[in-house]
Amino acid sequence: MTDVIDGRAEAAELAVPSVDVAPGTQPVGWRHRHLLDVDGLSIADLDLVMRTADAMREVLARPIAKVPALRGRNVTILFYEASTRTRVSFEVAAKNLSAEVVNIAASTSSVTKGESLVDTVRTVEALGAQMLVMRHSVSGAPYLAAEVFGGSVLNGGDGWHAHPTQALLDLYTMRSRLGSVEGRKVVILGDVLHSRVARSNIWTLTAAGADLWLCGPPTLLRGFEAWAGRGAAAGRRFHVTSSIDQALRDADVVMALRIQKERMASGLLPSLREYAARYGLTASRLAHAKPGALVMHPGPMNEGVEIAPDVAAGAQSVITDQVTNGVAIRMALLYLLAGVSPT
Amino acid sequence: MTDLDLSRVWLIDPVAGREGPGELVVRDGVLEAFTWLEGSDAHGVDDLGVIVAPGFIDLHAHLREPGNEDAETVATGLAAAAHGGFTTVCAMPNTTPTLDEPGVLAAIHTAAAASGSPVELLAWGAVTVGRAGHTLAALGELADAGVVGFSDDGAPVRSATILRNALAYSAPLGLPVVDHPEDPTQTEGAEANDGFVATVLGLRGWPAAAEESAVARDLAILGEVCRDVPGVRLHLTHLSTAGSLDLVRRAKSAGLPVTCDVTPHHLALTDEWIAGARRFAWDAGLDGPWHDDAIETTPFHPSLRVNPPLRTSTDALACLAAVADATADAIATDHAPHTEVDKAVEFGLAANGISGIETALGLVLAAVDAGHLTLARAVAALTVGPAAVLGGRTRRAGTVGLVEGRPADLVVFDRSDRWTVRSDALASKGKNSPLIGIELGGRVLVTMAAGKVAYEAPPD
Repeated sequence: MTDVIDGRAEAAELAVPSVDVAPGTQPVGWRHRHLLDVDGLSIADLDLVMRTADAMREVLARPIAKVPALRGRNVTILFYEASTRTRVSFEVAAKNLSAEVVNIAASTSSVTKGESLVDTVRTVEALGAQMLVMRHSVSGAPYLAAEVFGGSVLNGGDGWHAHPTQALLDLYTMRSRLGSVEGRKVVILGDVLHSRVARSNIWTLTAAGADLWLCGPPTLLRGFEAWAGRGAAAGRRFHVTSSIDQALRDADVVMALRIQKERMASGLLPSLREYAARYGLTASRLAHAKPGALVMHPGPMNEGVEIAPDVAAGAQSVITDQVTNGVAIRMALLYLLAGVSPT
Repeated sequence: MTDLDLSRVWLIDPVAGREGPGELVVRDGVLEAFTWLEGSDAHGVDDLGVIVAPGFIDLHAHLREPGNEDAETVATGLAAAAHGGFTTVCAMPNTTPTLDEPGVLAAIHTAAAASGSPVELLAWGAVTVGRAGHTLAALGELADAGVVGFSDDGAPVRSATILRNALAYSAPLGLPVVDHPEDPTQTEGAEANDGFVATVLGLRGWPAAAEESAVARDLAILGEVCRDVPGVRLHLTHLSTAGSLDLVRRAKSAGLPVTCDVTPHHLALTDEWIAGARRFAWDAGLDGPWHDDAIETTPFHPSLRVNPPLRTSTDALACLAAVADATADAIATDHAPHTEVDKAVEFGLAANGISGIETALGLVLAAVDAGHLTLARAVAALTVGPAAVLGGRTRRAGTVGLVEGRPADLVVFDRSDRWTVRSDALASKGKNSPLIGIELGGRVLVTMAAGKVAYEAPPD
């Protein structure tokens, strides 16, 4: 694991932003007011997020994991979709930065009778929200929020579209373990069609030079061949296959995605049993990957379906790292955005 | 003002199939004279300046009255039509209540008369009661009351058997059936064209096959019905894919009694606009907007949610080619005004539709400017093409051209006079246009209908 240590050391040598500063200090080099998607992030942006997350990891390692960077800031977490881990991760991140945190669980079922998203956003702003973390079941919803919100909007996942903080924590986790993802074979396995995690990872991983493979039954890869073709034409390493053997062969990273029961009702899959048999990440399948290949999952897992319990809990699994790194990445993003957010 | 003296302008007479420099005089609302200029008199007059054409006919508009008057009324819809150069508008029957019995038709005719607009209001009756797809509406009574044909638009005629019966039953009434081709089993929850843009943006796909399989179904039924029943006519509205237009092209060459229209937005815009690109279809490639830096604004603008969805540049160019070779008989706007409450929401929750009757001419002229249509063919698709679909059921029957001695029914526009689309520049209550902020050519100067001024541009 020397490469891991080297990778961390190398990153640390770069200018690690100081977070032990008074609130309101501007981070250098960050220009985005919102984080809605990852398609607009440059390599320099990705590096800055990673370096800032390194600094946040150091904060998290302290006996009292708290810095005053966002003291007096109101971070409102507005979730239109059920979520535990992402919501709590944002909440912990914001509290570690000394922000005031407001949690709102909203419902999309009342769109016609109840309050519109625009009204809700205006209301939370009037109640003091300066940064808005939002999750919504409709693709693109955070763009509507960003149009009317005076502060910064962080997309905590929108429909099938994007999950920027997940992709950034995934990249951070891979870099922490592998040093760099350049040329590394990364496999995203499972329900790519409905996955905002997959879409955001496509942008970040291909930008970072990974050799990206999407794998699953063709029904769950619909449309991605065309994306891969265009990505390849633009010089990105991007492949789509329904052969799990081809995908896993010599892989450096395997990321399994959650399969939802609804996929059977809509005729995309015959059964969970059949899915597990053909595409489940088992120890014997993982043996085709490189020795020590990383096993990842954005959670929540269906153990025994898309991933076998022994693989999820095995030595190659970095799934709990992902959770810890998620807090660091979200601290980094809140910190960076706070620097450019109007107050 | 019911007098008009236009000298040295570009006249287009699609009935005579002629265009060129000319002069035109309207006295007391009557087209007193129009003259083609020859030789040196014509010198310096070209088709880039002031153009006079017969008033446009829109086969497909949603005027929302009765039932949804906060989105549009007959009065505001007709005002919007006049601003767009249209002098005849065919309203779709998906109102509340549905126009499935003569009383609703009478109500909108009363509203049109009360509006004082000289724009001609025609209406399609529903094919089925309540547009529910189960039982035939009172087609004969509706025909007697004056509808121009039948449509369940907003939705397809779901049952193939109902479609077959409607085609047969309406044949002796002399009226067409208009279908909105969509196989709903393929479009449940669909948000955008099933393609690269939808894949990247995580939007639920509306496949071209959902339209093409419906077109194929309709044509197969038409082929059988027309063997037994004389006078059957099918009109397919807002075709949006290359495959659909190919199917119609082949059906026409096989002699089937089918006509179709395409919309201005499917001619000029593509699904790239949802990603934030703002270039016309003919300027877009197939690689998508991300790889060639075409993203100009934020994605997911709800004004771009429309059914059928904006397609690819290949489809848009196929629609243009279909207008050019007359596979598409008409350009129809599918004007679909909505309130801000229904549109200023998440993309996937936004109502489908574009308020488009006032920007139709500008988009069509952009295609002409880009060399994808001739001006004459574009005007034909806005005048004689739709008139033929309507048969005799417009007050202008036989006089869609510029006819001396008849009440003037014409549009005067300046092709080189560009205007910026703004909410307050739209007469429609529906401000749901993706073209807000965009500059279009062909500002309408005057629209005259039935010898009266329906619209006149404010002085600069």
